[in-house]
Amino acid sequence: MSEGHATWVYAITSDLDSAVLAGIEGIGGEPVRTLADNSLTAVIGSIDADAFGEEAFERMLSDPGQVEVLARAHHRVVEVVAGGSPVLPLRLATVYRNDDRVRALLKQRQARFAETLRWLTGRGECGVKVWADPAALATGRTGGEPAPAAPDPGPAAGGSHRPGHGAGAAYLSRRRAQLEARADGRLRAAQRGEDIHGALTGRAVAARQHPLQDPRLAGNQELMVLNGAYLVDAARMDQFAAYARAAVADLARFRLDITGPWPPYSFADGPDG
Amino acid sequence: MTQQWRPAPASTSPMLQRPEPSDLAEILERVLDKGIVVAGDIRVNLVDVELLTIRLRLLIASVDRAREMGIDWWEHDPTLSSGARDLAAENRRLRERIGELQANGRPPAIDDGEEPTGARAAQPAERERRGSARPMAQGGTRKAARQQ
Repeated sequence: MSEGHATWVYAITSDLDSAVLAGIEGIGGEPVRTLADNSLTAVIGSIDADAFGEEAFERMLSDPGQVEVLARAHHRVVEVVAGGSPVLPLRLATVYRNDDRVRALLKQRQARFAETLRWLTGRGECGVKVWADPAALATGRTGGEPAPAAPDPGPAAGGSHRPGHGAGAAYLSRRRAQLEARADGRLRAAQRGEDIHGALTGRAVAARQHPLQDPRLAGNQELMVLNGAYLVDAARMDQFAAYARAAVADLARFRLDITGPWPPYSFADGPDG
Repeated sequence: MTQQWRPAPASTSPMLQRPEPSDLAEILERVLDKGIVVAGDIRVNLVDVELLTIRLRLLIASVDRAREMGIDWWEHDPTLSSGARDLAAENRRLRERIGELQANGRPPAIDDGEEPTGARAAQPAERERRGSARPMAQGGTRKAARQQ
């Protein structure tokens, strides 16, 4: 590649029929190419070196609109590759000065990449997110357990309608009881999340737990209690999804989202990653 | 797109939600936060994924819709993430203060002579919701505060 270009790396794969990449547009609308070394194939594309210089690149990545365009283009290529071969997706924005640098990467990590690709062959990633209803957290009821008895509000709460100290103390007492019930509810909900993760892990080739997401991301007040990724044999994907749904179905105040099959983004670091 | 290991066409496989073009948050979570990390030749600092995703939601949702969802804090705090931390810290301080006052058997001065309902009484709950960037960690903090 000339000095005006740099090389974007989408994924590393093996046994790729490069015909699947025909007509696929990558970052910047550029065609997607392959670079083979030994048993590995890097799926790459050329990008404008000026547009992706460090400073310009960081500006681009601080603009949500541009990040969306990059993310979708990157993911689209990874998905196409995953359609025909085992795939190791690279983190967004992995850029080398030229193709030779990518070849050096393949040589350097040959054994590791090849081993991980073998492990991932014929498998896909299933994403499972579980949320708890905030009402369950407030009352402490998370799946049919009896609510804890409310603490005695104390003598300050009764007898007088005079506003003042009594009302303030009663408020604080109620507030404390609410907070304690909610803390207990959260702990129980978190435990349910762990239980579900344990059950799903037993049905998967491998599992990863990702950070729980901020409630703002869901746009409501539900509390995320599980953000899991599960590596599952392709032939058992539907069976796994059915099992996950069943695990949550009898918990009245929990909701689950299953997505997939995804390219194995969460498992690209290998069996012991 | 992933026919090789996809067990059945989407139309006959109702068990899974296929990644849809609209699943931007799901895609971002993966491409920004997962996948192989190798040291490329151009180093960039990817901003916090969650923060970025929330910003992207704002792009997708109209501003009015975002407000309906309670996402309005960006108006007060352009750095966003540090603002969330401040709220969490303030929330913790408020809870500790309530705990102290309760332990002393005295009501807080702010409630003196007033019915403790309405906007002001609701404030701690509101702050808690907005400040709970890490709900589980916060639960732990609450527990610790109770043991004092």
